Amino acid sequence: MGYFDVPEIDYTRYSDRQLAAVPLAVLGVALLVLAGSFLLLGTPVQLGMDFVGGTELTVQTATPEEEIPGAFEEEPESIQSVASAENQYIVQFVSTDQEGLSEQAETNLEPAGGGEVIQQVSSTSASFGEQTQRTALLGLAVAFLGMSALAFALFRTFVPSIAIVVSAFSDLVIPLAFMSLVGIRLSLGTVAALLMLIGYSVDSDILLNNHVLRRGGDFYESTHRAMRTGITMTVTSMTAMLVMGVAAWIFGVELLSSIGIILFVGLTADLMNTYLLNLSLLRWYKFHGVAR
Amino acid sequence: MNPIAFVKEYWRILLLVVFVSAALVALFVPGGVTDDDTVVEGENETIDAGPTNLEYGLGLDGGTRISAPPVGMSADIDIESGQEREVETTLRDELGIDAADAVVRYHEDDDRFTAEVFAEEVTAAEFAAALQEAGVDVEEGDVDDEVTQQTRDEIIQTIELRINEAGLSGGTVYQEATVGDGYYIVTEVPGMSPGELRELLTERGDVQIVAYYPGENGTQTNETVLRSEDFASVGSASYNDRQGYHYVPVTVDDSEANDGSSPAADYQAAMNEYGFTGEGIGQCNPNIHDRETGEFDTDHDAQQWCLLTVVDDEVVDAHSMSPDLADSMASGDWENDPVFQMIVPSQQDANTLAVNLQSGALTAPLDLEQEQTFSLEPALADQFKTYSLLIGVLSVLTVSGTVYLRYSDRRVAAPMILTALAEVVILLGFAAAIRMPLDLSHVAGFIAVVGTGVDDLIIIADEVMDEGDVSSRRVFESRFRKAFWVIGAAAATTIIALSPLAVLSLGDLRGFAIITILGVLVGVLITRPAYGDILQRLLTDR
Repeated sequence: MGYFDVPEIDYTRYSDRQLAAVPLAVLGVALLVLAGSFLLLGTPVQLGMDFVGGTELTVQTATPEEEIPGAFEEEPESIQSVASAENQYIVQFVSTDQEGLSEQAETNLEPAGGGEVIQQVSSTSASFGEQTQRTALLGLAVAFLGMSALAFALFRTFVPSIAIVVSAFSDLVIPLAFMSLVGIRLSLGTVAALLMLIGYSVDSDILLNNHVLRRGGDFYESTHRAMRTGITMTVTSMTAMLVMGVAAWIFGVELLSSIGIILFVGLTADLMNTYLLNLSLLRWYKFHGVAR
Repeated sequence: MNPIAFVKEYWRILLLVVFVSAALVALFVPGGVTDDDTVVEGENETIDAGPTNLEYGLGLDGGTRISAPPVGMSADIDIESGQEREVETTLRDELGIDAADAVVRYHEDDDRFTAEVFAEEVTAAEFAAALQEAGVDVEEGDVDDEVTQQTRDEIIQTIELRINEAGLSGGTVYQEATVGDGYYIVTEVPGMSPGELRELLTERGDVQIVAYYPGENGTQTNETVLRSEDFASVGSASYNDRQGYHYVPVTVDDSEANDGSSPAADYQAAMNEYGFTGEGIGQCNPNIHDRETGEFDTDHDAQQWCLLTVVDDEVVDAHSMSPDLADSMASGDWENDPVFQMIVPSQQDANTLAVNLQSGALTAPLDLEQEQTFSLEPALADQFKTYSLLIGVLSVLTVSGTVYLRYSDRRVAAPMILTALAEVVILLGFAAAIRMPLDLSHVAGFIAVVGTGVDDLIIIADEVMDEGDVSSRRVFESRFRKAFWVIGAAAATTIIALSPLAVLSLGDLRGFAIITILGVLVGVLITRPAYGDILQRLLTDR
């Protein structure tokens, strides 16, 4: 059935410790990355404009990219050209002097294609950003706690529920470490992706737990069935997110590209966490935990 | 098969068909399903904008949004009614602030008084001290770092008026709560540049007429004779062809207070007393005020009788009283028909003056140091619209491709993709029906909905086709129910994970969360059961 099929892994060859070791090691490395970044830079993940304030201009200009910084009195933090549109650049600044920067862009940059030089402006003051930061943290915390509470309510036993919570935690930490390494800044879009990840990643865990705990039958048989469905699900979402992330990046639609890419990374982590970490905990619970 | 049995058999599919049709009507039939009268005006615009009834927000239509908190603080105070003015005056004198920056209010619904100060430089301690000076027992800790709800409502009203008077439709103003107990005032206007909107928001718009005249011992004196609230009606900006000047016609309020005085009568009396209607007629040197730089020159030889139009403490223009007006004031007739023209240098000044007079002053200024600005050119917004559509289509194609590769059975894959699309159509229809303005974040939500939707359909398909063929309806139903437990649990987690976003004020993300949550609900309640029915029909031998 199908052009691709979910491989059957012979879990009996590995002990619980061996299975759990890989995802736990990755989680450990991810936490180290975040801690390192915290020590070096002051935050686990670099915060984007939404959270620390700053100004972002999307300009359409015939001025060559390397001359754009010269148009402004302040050195731009970053300049990114939009792949799908010629002469379009996204320029970011630390300062929040939106008016001054817009004025400098209008006077010093050559217009192109008859349109306005400034196509998009967004600026956030530092205190507004701080507010947003607190709100976003609260949102993430509430979402995570809510999800954990629901996991416990659904399965009403400690080990399977905590397995879901631990893998979800790892699903969040790994993309965060990825962002920190690759230099993607935390923005509202990536926070949305992280929240979405809480919802998405738990699906496959619930599916696995449900198959193993609530159905009769052999452990490995149930696991295999859950994996067939679960991996199809996750891979489908991953391809959709990858396509969305890449397409949006080409078009210069930041919000969509960051959501797509973070979800892709998070779902990859989820595959590992669900079928190595969660599974090993479940197996231990099924064969040793219940007997106690 | 009789009709009742038919409905019983296929009610899930029928329900889906009903919802999809309703959504299509809402989307494509001009006028849609909105039966709201106020909508008619806006409807024309949306028809012009495209083939659907969808409304677009700033991120997909262009425009400017500025969010900023109001400046000021408030405190509950315990005073007797009638003491309000006294406390206001004390606050003003103690803190050295403008009259408009100290307000004492009585809140009828819960019978209490509040004092507010709208000045950046005043600290909570100073505010409390000034209140104590006024005989009110308020500690620094009792001071609330926020203005009252009434003040915010007034600000919102004033800004709305200003947007409307600037001739722009489609603007919205609302307040948004932050995690602390603060509030931001958010103004969104399509078709306005950030500079224009900022100007509209920063202008306090406090208009005064100040009499500049020789006082008792011959020194020039300033006296405010008319304030914004003294005008009964304000005309629109006009131009006098014959003499070539711009002006705003105004009518001064002549309704009498208890003591028989009225703003019009007071103004007339003041003009007569200060000599404007006698020796001062025509005695205002035009050079006293430089229209170009706006500078006001107090260094002059002759005595001057000037009426100054002052907006936000800046002199806009200076004039003497015209002989005609002076005559009717001197005779006391003017107060029966209290109209005059406020002359200003340019068309633009006339416009802003009219707007300021009509909308009144902003109760409290906005703190633009703490603002957030977003602005998008309509041209780029159009590009974003196209891109969103493309990205959406690409994502759906990818999902379809993956699903087909996995099952290589059209009977399973095709209805799966169609069902996921039906979900998006229903959501779009819903968005059109409630006139929810769509933004990029909503687009992300739609794509997320396709993603979660297909996930759940995969669960159903796998579960149902597990353990060999589905031969009987009973077997199908039991497997379907099992699948539904997982789907319900998954849906619940997604809703819980995203609900904080739907409630908290995280700007762009609220739309994403709302659409995703709605999508999950539509999926669980309508489309997924229907998919089960379709699958059953295709797989069971009947």
